[in-house]
Amino acid sequence: MNKVVNPLRRSLLKAGTATMGMSMAGIAWGQGRDALTMGVLSQQTGTYAYAGQLVLNGAKLAIEERNGEILGQKINLIVRDDEGKPAVGVRRLSEAIGSDKLRYFGGNFSSAVGLAEAEVAQREKVIQYAAGGSEDFTGSRCNDYMFQWSAHGYTALRTTLEYVKQTMPDKKRIYTITADYAFGHSLLRYAKVAAQELGMELVGNDNHPLGERQFTQYLTKALSTRPDIICLLTAGADAVAATRQLFSFGAKNIQVVGPWSLEVDQLRELSPQMRDGLILGLNYYQDIDTPVNKAFVERYMKAHKSVPSYAAAYGYDSFRTMLLAMEQAKSTEVEAVRKAMEGMKYDSIFGPISIDPRTHQTLRPYYVVKCKAQADMKNENDYATIVAEGSKPQPAELNECKRSV
Amino acid sequence: MFSLFIALLINGIAIGLLYALMAFGLSIIKGLLNIPNFAHGAFFAIGAYICYGALNAGLPFFVALLLSFAVPALVGVAVERLGLSRLMRESYLYQLLFLFAVALVLEQLLLIIFGTVGLSVNPPESLAGAFNLGFTYVPKYLVLNGVVAALTIVAVWLLIERTRLGARIRAGIDKPDMARCLGVNVNRLLVLGFALGTGLAGFAGGLALPLLGASPTIGSDMLATAFVVLVIGGLGSIYGAILAGLLVGIIQCVATLWVPAASTVLIYVAMVLTLIVRPQGLLGER
Repeated sequence: MNKVVNPLRRSLLKAGTATMGMSMAGIAWGQGRDALTMGVLSQQTGTYAYAGQLVLNGAKLAIEERNGEILGQKINLIVRDDEGKPAVGVRRLSEAIGSDKLRYFGGNFSSAVGLAEAEVAQREKVIQYAAGGSEDFTGSRCNDYMFQWSAHGYTALRTTLEYVKQTMPDKKRIYTITADYAFGHSLLRYAKVAAQELGMELVGNDNHPLGERQFTQYLTKALSTRPDIICLLTAGADAVAATRQLFSFGAKNIQVVGPWSLEVDQLRELSPQMRDGLILGLNYYQDIDTPVNKAFVERYMKAHKSVPSYAAAYGYDSFRTMLLAMEQAKSTEVEAVRKAMEGMKYDSIFGPISIDPRTHQTLRPYYVVKCKAQADMKNENDYATIVAEGSKPQPAELNECKRSV
Repeated sequence: MFSLFIALLINGIAIGLLYALMAFGLSIIKGLLNIPNFAHGAFFAIGAYICYGALNAGLPFFVALLLSFAVPALVGVAVERLGLSRLMRESYLYQLLFLFAVALVLEQLLLIIFGTVGLSVNPPESLAGAFNLGFTYVPKYLVLNGVVAALTIVAVWLLIERTRLGARIRAGIDKPDMARCLGVNVNRLLVLGFALGTGLAGFAGGLALPLLGASPTIGSDMLATAFVVLVIGGLGSIYGAILAGLLVGIIQCVATLWVPAASTVLIYVAMVLTLIVRPQGLLGER
């Protein structure tokens, strides 16, 4: 018998053993050691370009609070630019799911993009915590994996108009100027519902194309109906242009109301006289008086030297909530976490709130603020005072979500 | 309904004159240098920001307006001398690409200097508020916009039609080689013409500042409209842009009566119809 082992065979044996050993170590390393990929998919260009970075700031804070890990697993935060376009968002999301193993995401602002991404979330079974004004998120296009962080359009309109009615009972005639896409249409629908409930009258509406910069013609038409209230159902740079041009009309006895319109970031772009007296409905305002929010505002100001707005609060609270849900579910697996999120009761920047198990709507307050005159501002960020708060949810008979729990 | 129509017509004429002013500059450049100025929107934006800066520094409004003409004009001189004139000998494509690049660089410079946040100024005190026409309101500042734009257009028309310089400009547009033979310094005319065009764009930006604000994208927003106006007016006619500007403004405003959501789309429809029915534009001959 040949006692000398064939050298080639020996090398092969060595190589084989080494490979097996490494792969076993690899398996042991992989189990629970792969980072959990969460993503911010948001706009870096377009109408809501200001929001992209802010959402990321907020999300990062939420992750840093937990030292970058959850349940012993490292969190890998990735960022993708969806350019505000549904097709791009869908593409970036699919790529991230495939190549980066993205499992949880949020960050987008435009309802159109969010709704497109929701279809991918459903198909690929990843959790999306969306924001955006369209009611379709928790209505006709609700799905098992997508959750809605922003208040429902009904809540927004009802809370804002109720404040107007209580403080200005003589002002009943409302003219609306609406952004011509899913978001605007939702707001208009609930403006009609809320106005009817409150005994106010919608005397007219004009839809304007998204991205419009020329509003004087819409305003001329609106003012010809002699309304008491001009209601801007439009947001972003469009709302800034509309408000700026409305100011040039000097219509002092007409109340301008933006139930889901200008955020703090846009208020900065207007002169103090242009925003004085505006009544705005907001998903978030920095003065919200809860322990979680106070802590958030302090940390945000320290990190970024500016007050957080809707976008930053959304980034922070949505990621914070997803991480809380993982803690509650004691797992980072999507199926377990989404079940935990359904009906979850927890403390947020809005105080104690919950998530509707069927529609996935976060049941949370909506805030009404009144913008201050320049003389009353205590500092450069003191744009407005919170004057009202409301959380009346969408009437069940108007909800079109077909999910069952 | 009729009174609202009149109000919207007034609105449309005022806005239209602003478009006309900007497109007038564009058509002068097209006429003299035979090139569509892709950087025209960037000059509009420069004018808006210069006006903002001047007003912030406490300068009176009409001084701010003069600066919003002068500074873009000077930048235009630099662009023409340092780039366009050298590329004149090269292919047409290089000039187009150069202007494209200038547009990007200028817009990015504005972004770097002024940031991404948009800026607003109130209309001057004397022009705050609106004329109450009874059936509706027309902002005083909007009317001023129209009046000043109209006066400026008339002034530039007089310059081109009634002065020796204007005659040389017209000669440079129609027959540059012959003009050269007659001792006209055509190269200097080109610089002047380009500067006049960019100056007018900047002036339009400054004039519109209280209404449109200053933001990094304001230039590109206006550029599309300016080109539509240029095409409808006729690429070969300097004055076609004025008529077309008025028409576009009126269409955009009056359409609000019946199809508000389509008021901007309609101006593009008008452009397409013009290209199909009368491709040389309203007043174009070439």
